[in-house]
Amino acid sequence: MKNALRKRSGSIAVVAVLAIVLWGYVVGPLAATFQQSMIGNGGGLAEYSKFFAFRSGALGESMLGSLMISFLSVITSGVTGVFLAVLLKRWQFPLRQVCQVLVLVPIALPPLMGVQAFVLLYGIGGTFPQLLGDLFRMNPSRFALDGISGVLLVHTLTMYPYFYLTVAAALEHADDSLEEAAYSLGASKLQTWSRILLPMLTPAIVAGALLTFMSSMSSYTAPLLFHVDKVMTQQIVIAKLNGQLGLASVVSVTLALISIIFLILLRSYERRSVYATLSKGGARKRREITSGLWRTVLVLVACISTIFLILPIAMIFLLAFSVDGSWRTSPLPSQYTTRNFVELFTDPASWAAVTTSLEMSAIAVGGAILLGLASAYVMARMQFRGKTVLDIAIMLPWALPGTVVAINLITAFANPSPFALGQVLVGTFAIVPLAYFVRFSPIVFRSTAASLAQLDIGIEEAARSLGAGWWYAFRRVVLPLLYRGVAAGALLAFVDGVGEFVATILLYTPQYRPLSIAINDELYYANYGTAASFGVIQVLLVLVVLIYMRRLDDRERTRATLLS
Amino acid sequence: MTALTLEALTKSFQRTGKVVDSIDLKIDEGEFFTLLGPSGCGKSTTLRMIAGFEEPTSGRILFDNIDVTYDPPNRRNIGFVFQNYALFPHLSVGSNVGFGLQVRKIPAKETRERVEAALHEVQLAGLGEARVDQLSGGQQQRVALARALVIRPKLLLLDEPLSNLDAKLREETRAALRLLHQSTRVTTVYVTHDQDEAMAMSNRIAVLHRGKIHQVGTPEDIYERPATRFVADFIGRNNILDATIQAVSGQSVVIRFPDGTDLTLDDHHRAAGIELAPGARVGVCLRAESLQLAGENGIFSGVVTDVEYCGPVRSCIVKTSFAQLRVEVPSSAARPVTGQTVRLSIVPAAVHLVGLS
Repeated sequence: MKNALRKRSGSIAVVAVLAIVLWGYVVGPLAATFQQSMIGNGGGLAEYSKFFAFRSGALGESMLGSLMISFLSVITSGVTGVFLAVLLKRWQFPLRQVCQVLVLVPIALPPLMGVQAFVLLYGIGGTFPQLLGDLFRMNPSRFALDGISGVLLVHTLTMYPYFYLTVAAALEHADDSLEEAAYSLGASKLQTWSRILLPMLTPAIVAGALLTFMSSMSSYTAPLLFHVDKVMTQQIVIAKLNGQLGLASVVSVTLALISIIFLILLRSYERRSVYATLSKGGARKRREITSGLWRTVLVLVACISTIFLILPIAMIFLLAFSVDGSWRTSPLPSQYTTRNFVELFTDPASWAAVTTSLEMSAIAVGGAILLGLASAYVMARMQFRGKTVLDIAIMLPWALPGTVVAINLITAFANPSPFALGQVLVGTFAIVPLAYFVRFSPIVFRSTAASLAQLDIGIEEAARSLGAGWWYAFRRVVLPLLYRGVAAGALLAFVDGVGEFVATILLYTPQYRPLSIAINDELYYANYGTAASFGVIQVLLVLVVLIYMRRLDDRERTRATLLS
Repeated sequence: MTALTLEALTKSFQRTGKVVDSIDLKIDEGEFFTLLGPSGCGKSTTLRMIAGFEEPTSGRILFDNIDVTYDPPNRRNIGFVFQNYALFPHLSVGSNVGFGLQVRKIPAKETRERVEAALHEVQLAGLGEARVDQLSGGQQQRVALARALVIRPKLLLLDEPLSNLDAKLREETRAALRLLHQSTRVTTVYVTHDQDEAMAMSNRIAVLHRGKIHQVGTPEDIYERPATRFVADFIGRNNILDATIQAVSGQSVVIRFPDGTDLTLDDHHRAAGIELAPGARVGVCLRAESLQLAGENGIFSGVVTDVEYCGPVRSCIVKTSFAQLRVEVPSSAARPVTGQTVRLSIVPAAVHLVGLS
């Protein structure tokens, strides 16, 4: 009995530590924001009811605006992602493999500079409006995207991977014989699509839609740069800058509730398994296209879409070599130089921004590895009451918009707190890495959990049966086998941290200026060249990590991680 | 001497209720003991409790009369062979086998020697450097076995270790396991749903059904003298007919089948606890091979509805007025055809009475 007691108290202790950490840095700060929303400046219970006056008042309009943009983003990203997945996974044509690699490149688009690239390509005074204006001899601004259409374009071209990755996976796993069975039973092509293929893709499409909706609700930078302020994230920041922390909290809490609802929807949907293929084996063969015309069309469509997708990244690289202030009225910058990169490494202020970001991100990832690994292990291997609550608490920061996470930390750590060892964190170096830690722990958690799900529990039991204690088995057997999952998640969390803008802008102190803030400052003075050279560093960092993750050679986990 | 004792061992899960229901067992030192039953009968859960992977809801587990019920698996000195082998994919074959010795801090030199000897014993000498995913299924199975044996465990626990092998390899490995047991004499608990495997290897077998032990005995006991109707049905190809006891006189019993046919038997051809009173209803086990096609003097008549040729025997379904009987006749003896009317005779010594349920 003594051993049983010890084992149980060990598990209880681990779960308790997790619960305390999650309370201190995730759930507690959200509760603090709720409290602030009741008593703070501009807050109060009455403010909440204003959300339901949809068409009058900033709150109602901003909620309606956020919901509408998210809904439209789901449709446009969905069409794009599903179209690309079907195009690239079902037909065989020249250049297909090249396109297949390139359509994933937008994942490497850095948060702030990436959106700025869209503005410079399609926005007022951008490349395309100018080219089209010259072509049709009209005022270029008639072709420029601004407001909601601009936001939608950014959302579509940055969020289609949610659909592309899930649907492509479903198509890869789908069994040819199911389709052949439908044909053999007399179904037409249309019937086979509507009755067999689409229902099989439904789980993938629903998962993609939920992810896109959540990301759109959280989106901050695209509305900022395309001048849309009637969305909730903007209202939070505006209220905060006006000193109305109560009002900012009201919007944050409401946005958090919407995110939590979607998180619960997504988690319960994920638990219902995707249609497991009953049939075995057999690699999918892609349709070989024989007709020359059809083939040309496919290649053209695929190439044009791919070029369109990688244009923003190409723009960042081009800009990085442009002279600051050299871009006035031409479609593209007119003067080029390599000075931006030289300065990046030699100018102390620029280099300090890079090292500050790397440092903050590294600290955050260290914590995220501990929390993510521990929580993934606890969720996979232990049974206890309140497990679902813990699961939601772990994933919560992933669902919360960065803006909301920032507001939560501001309200919780504006005063001395036991979770900050009695210190005030707001206005110090520590608050930014803390925000990264909170935001990106779920990434490590998800990636580790995906690895752990593939790890047969028998392996661990085998080690135990051979005489290894729990810790020995964990160290010598479990950890080496989980290493890739942890590494993939940690690297992704690290690059996300290096680029983070949304929470950083609300939390940073000028003394410690991270990369995204440096970019923001350069953009303010229209120093596109310098800003883009920072962006190139971010893109390269992400690409290196993506390539390394592919080398880790576990496509399931890569997918699970990229979707986080 | 008793190596392993289970006392009223019970395991309930929240969803499924009692999976193992108050099991009592004593397994002797050096014995090869099998837990046999259909899937879901609780045999694997019992084995996992013996290993310490699952904690019993109630009851006790004793190794050599020492209570280990709540000891963690690493303190039990057991060797466990998993159905899917559970080899460590990041370690070489040799490191897999040596893992348990390393845990026990055996000196490197001795570890090397013992690993080599263990690999030699399972015919894998020289493969120590290989990666486990380079091995065939049969070889992986033997690595798992070597890994479990090299630590000289107190108990060797095997969870359906042959079920992932193909038929021919399964029979070879069966023989290899028996030889290995004879040379090591390690007390072994073997879990399987395959009665042939159980019969071929075991000193004794426990037949489990829905978490309860229905019978513990030698393979002969189980096959020839099933204790319950479930055992009779599960082991071999039995026909189980309902009948009524007609008369009991001294050493003999007369039973009557639904069609009115009477049969006289010795009264010891019955499971324990069967009431022999006139009018009592019983189940009658007739093994498929104990029924014979018998020209005129058979006691049942019926029509052959199906014939399967199985090499040494032909397996027929004979439909009588009250039952369908499976009959196996030596292929060389007769050549029944579908639609033929036949008479069947019974060897009374091969008949066995069981309860109704």
